[in-house]
Amino acid sequence: MAMENAPIVETHGLSKRFGSGFLAVDGVDMSVRRGEVYGFLGPNGAGKTTTLKMLVGLIGATSGTATVAGHAPGDPAGLAKIGCLIEGPGFYPYLSGRENLRVVADLASVSQRRVDEVLDLIEMTSRAGRKFGTYSTGMKMRIGVAAALLKDPELLILDEPTAGLDPQGMAEMRKLITDIGHGERTVLISSHLLGEVQATCDRVGVISNGKLVRESTVEDLLGDEGVFVRAEPSERANEVLTRMFGPAAVVHENGHFNLKTNPAQSLAINRQLMASGVAVSELRPVERSLEDVFFQLTGDKQGS
Amino acid sequence: MIATIRAEWRKNQFRPAFLVSLGVVAASTLFVYGIVWYLATHPSPGNQQGVSILTLYPDQFVNYVMGIGLLLGEAMAVVLGAVVAGSEYSWGTTKTMLTQRPGRLTNWSGRVVVFAAGLGIMALVLFAVGAASSVVVAAFEHHAITWPAALYIAEGLAAVWLVFIANGAIGLALGVLIRHSAAALGIGLIYVLAVEVLGVRFIDSLNNGAYKWIGNLFVGQNANALLQSFTSPAFGPSAPPAIATNQAVLVLAVYFAGLIVVAAGLLRLRDVT
Ligand SMILES: Nc1ncnc2c1ncn2[C@@H]1O[C@H](COP(=O)(O)OP(=O)(O)OP(=O)(O)O)[C@@H](O)[C@H]1O
Ligand SMILES: [Mg+2]
Repeated sequence: MAMENAPIVETHGLSKRFGSGFLAVDGVDMSVRRGEVYGFLGPNGAGKTTTLKMLVGLIGATSGTATVAGHAPGDPAGLAKIGCLIEGPGFYPYLSGRENLRVVADLASVSQRRVDEVLDLIEMTSRAGRKFGTYSTGMKMRIGVAAALLKDPELLILDEPTAGLDPQGMAEMRKLITDIGHGERTVLISSHLLGEVQATCDRVGVISNGKLVRESTVEDLLGDEGVFVRAEPSERANEVLTRMFGPAAVVHENGHFNLKTNPAQSLAINRQLMASGVAVSELRPVERSLEDVFFQLTGDKQGS
Repeated sequence: MIATIRAEWRKNQFRPAFLVSLGVVAASTLFVYGIVWYLATHPSPGNQQGVSILTLYPDQFVNYVMGIGLLLGEAMAVVLGAVVAGSEYSWGTTKTMLTQRPGRLTNWSGRVVVFAAGLGIMALVLFAVGAASSVVVAAFEHHAITWPAALYIAEGLAAVWLVFIANGAIGLALGVLIRHSAAALGIGLIYVLAVEVLGVRFIDSLNNGAYKWIGNLFVGQNANALLQSFTSPAFGPSAPPAIATNQAVLVLAVYFAGLIVVAAGLLRLRDVT
């Protein structure tokens, strides 16, 4: 399809300065492609929720622009194609889960039949008659996801849909997200659970202190892999490795080396070291997790 | 806007705050009729002025419920408005409602329409329970049942409704402004029941009443004047209202519209955080 890679969300210099003067989002250029599952990562207070709220028009940008589903944020024509669950589910506690979804369906001009469909999808049919106020965190979250799905949206925006869920709830939510992210639908999801993101997302954007510090595919992000080497004598090893890869690619710490190079080089590394009389006691590819990359990108001074 | 009205109706029809208000209005009306009936039929030394039982009969019911509507309407409508507007923020439902399809102003219009309709139902309950009570009194007292003219009933309903929505708009606007139902409710009640009353008294006392016209611009004064214009000799001698009926209607309508527009502006411009 020609539209396949046209961004469904595109922002340029999107910024938000709150009334207090605090710059929560600072010149974000992000682009979410049609049909992908996009993970939006960042430590607490990085500006994820603020950015997502700007995308749906709940918060007005101080500067910069955003186009979401072909329209300006908050435009009814755009909203008709977007389903979102931002900063927790907000529903009427005195109404049942089903009645709450009916209210939302009315507003969204969606047929009431769709309510039962989404209830089925999130497996809440049997509990849909209970008052929303009596639901557990997990059930509330499910109703929130159901509401976001009512419009059968082209773009689904989920802000920490696994917050407060138990491991089983998280696994179910991950499965749900993988299922609904399948095919044409685009999912933009923020989460602190990096394992979840690594497992479900095609691309990620990492935000830190309001700035988008990285945006790439998950593979590219993890792709800055390397090789771990422990060898003696280390001065000699250092010489050899530096000759092979240049000083920038060799990090010598705590008696071992971290090489910024493709693990495919392992055999050559071993051979060269041996040939130079260096004894290699350990040599293995470093597989970085999304978590490692995340900490590297966002720095550990932030977050809690 | 049909979509928002439908959604607002669906969410408000079983809203406890609303149902409780209707219950309070109905119960208070019954209570007042019951007590006054008792007082009227049991004259005592402590009740020298006497309460005329004539005011309790069906032909006077419109005039009679005006007093109840005035007392209750001010408080009840403010409370309902504050709760309806404020709780959307505490429940986080604002973001859910504003991210569906209708824009903010459409959302707001739908909410106001359904809220005003709800207060219309409250006025109807007041009238219905008043009428029923008057029939019961008349039946027990073997008094003929005659009704006020239909037009008079309609005018009375409209007047009570206008007083309700003008006060309701104070609650709504405070709810939107403060974004918290309990705080809005407290401030609204204190304003309507105390601040305005004392303020008007103070203004009226200044310079031998030279600024009375300012005092006459407050909601309470106009609500009072409008509802007191529904009276009859059965209620004893009464001074003509300080504010002409037409003017009172106009002032109340301006209050309603003005507050709704101000709240709309706030809702339109502010971030939902
Ligand atoms: N209404 C507001 N007024 C002032 N500052 C705000 C407001 N809302 C958010 N902030 C600040 O903006 C920053 C970004 O907040 P945001 O909620 O977007 O973070 P987040 O990335 O979603 O964090 P979390 O992971 O904890 O949900 C925070 O420092 C927060 O304190
Ligand atoms: Mg957040």
